[in-house]
Amino acid sequence: MSHLTLEQLVALREPGAEPGTQAAREHLNECGGCRAEFERLHQRVARLKSLPSLRPTRDRWPAVRARFESERRARRLRRAGLVGLAAAASVALAVASKRVYQPIPVATTAELSETMARSRALEAAIDRYHPESRVLDDHTARIAQELEDRIAAVDRQLEITDLMDANRRQAQELNLWRERVGLLDALVDVHLTRASNAGL
Amino acid sequence: MLKALTMDSYLPADAKTVLAQAKAGDPAGFEALYRAFEVPVYNLCRRICRTAEDAEDVLQETFLEICRSIGQYREDGSLWGWIRTIAASKALMRLRRNKYRDTDELHDEVVANRREDTHLRMDLEAALERLSETSRAVVWLHDVEGYTHEEIAVMMGKTPSFSKSQLARAHARLRRWLGEEVAA
Repeated sequence: MSHLTLEQLVALREPGAEPGTQAAREHLNECGGCRAEFERLHQRVARLKSLPSLRPTRDRWPAVRARFESERRARRLRRAGLVGLAAAASVALAVASKRVYQPIPVATTAELSETMARSRALEAAIDRYHPESRVLDDHTARIAQELEDRIAAVDRQLEITDLMDANRRQAQELNLWRERVGLLDALVDVHLTRASNAGL
Repeated sequence: MLKALTMDSYLPADAKTVLAQAKAGDPAGFEALYRAFEVPVYNLCRRICRTAEDAEDVLQETFLEICRSIGQYREDGSLWGWIRTIAASKALMRLRRNKYRDTDELHDEVVANRREDTHLRMDLEAALERLSETSRAVVWLHDVEGYTHEEIAVMMGKTPSFSKSQLARAHARLRRWLGEEVAA
């Protein structure tokens, strides 16, 4: 039998028996040249595994975070739109059926829809500034980051309210959406200030 | 699998807390995951992608995907294994998008001819860099990351035979460029 090809030697490292493997293994046991080649293959793989880890030159986390937060805001915006519609629909249904055992406070529902709409408008205003692509000074960036963190925390609380019963949820949601609007207002101010300072 | 377990040791001691934070959408949890896996993910991407810039873009896309879908990680396998598969898929997607593979054959020929003419001995890092994108990806995924030919075939949209032949060709070239060939 002639020497094993590199393809056969590479295949010999695979787990399990493939056609021809037994004959190749027998040849390997008898042929010093092929054993040496097989050993070099092992050493090459070991050297590949021990190559030093390459590191990125830039910290990409701020960019990842900005894009993720932006996507989350967009999702929240869509969700607010759907919840607003659902709230309006439930009021319409309650009024139409006149079979409401626990009356839904219409004023609160309307206020909730109004607050959500305000939140959407503020998000849209912030998105128009493309905050993820803007360069902010350290102080402004820290304030913006802090506000974004607090908005994210409110969003998580809003997700938790989904698990509550209807009346408790509505009361909690209104407070949280108000808080969200306040934070977004502050964030808009941060971006407006930055834009006016930069002469934009 | 051993490598996967070792990589999970990159996680901080409070790994469960970090994972729980990330699953709850807490940015601190996401950042802790990024800091823990930034280097191994970048290293994998850099070994597959042609340029450092491409690799950094794929690093960013990988962690964005992790943030989006951490809820789908069911903790029945290693976290590094889950992250690594996302990174490898994104890196291979980048190769496809850049159509590097369309020119692989030509690239291989040019490089092979040039090396055979000059009889230069290269170091392993340079030799690896000289391989075509596809060959380098197969070598790295199979020999270093421990993926099987079947898994590589699925990720690349090719057959296991394609992966096997790419691996053998890559080793033939590495052997030649590293000056390890011996007369039969």
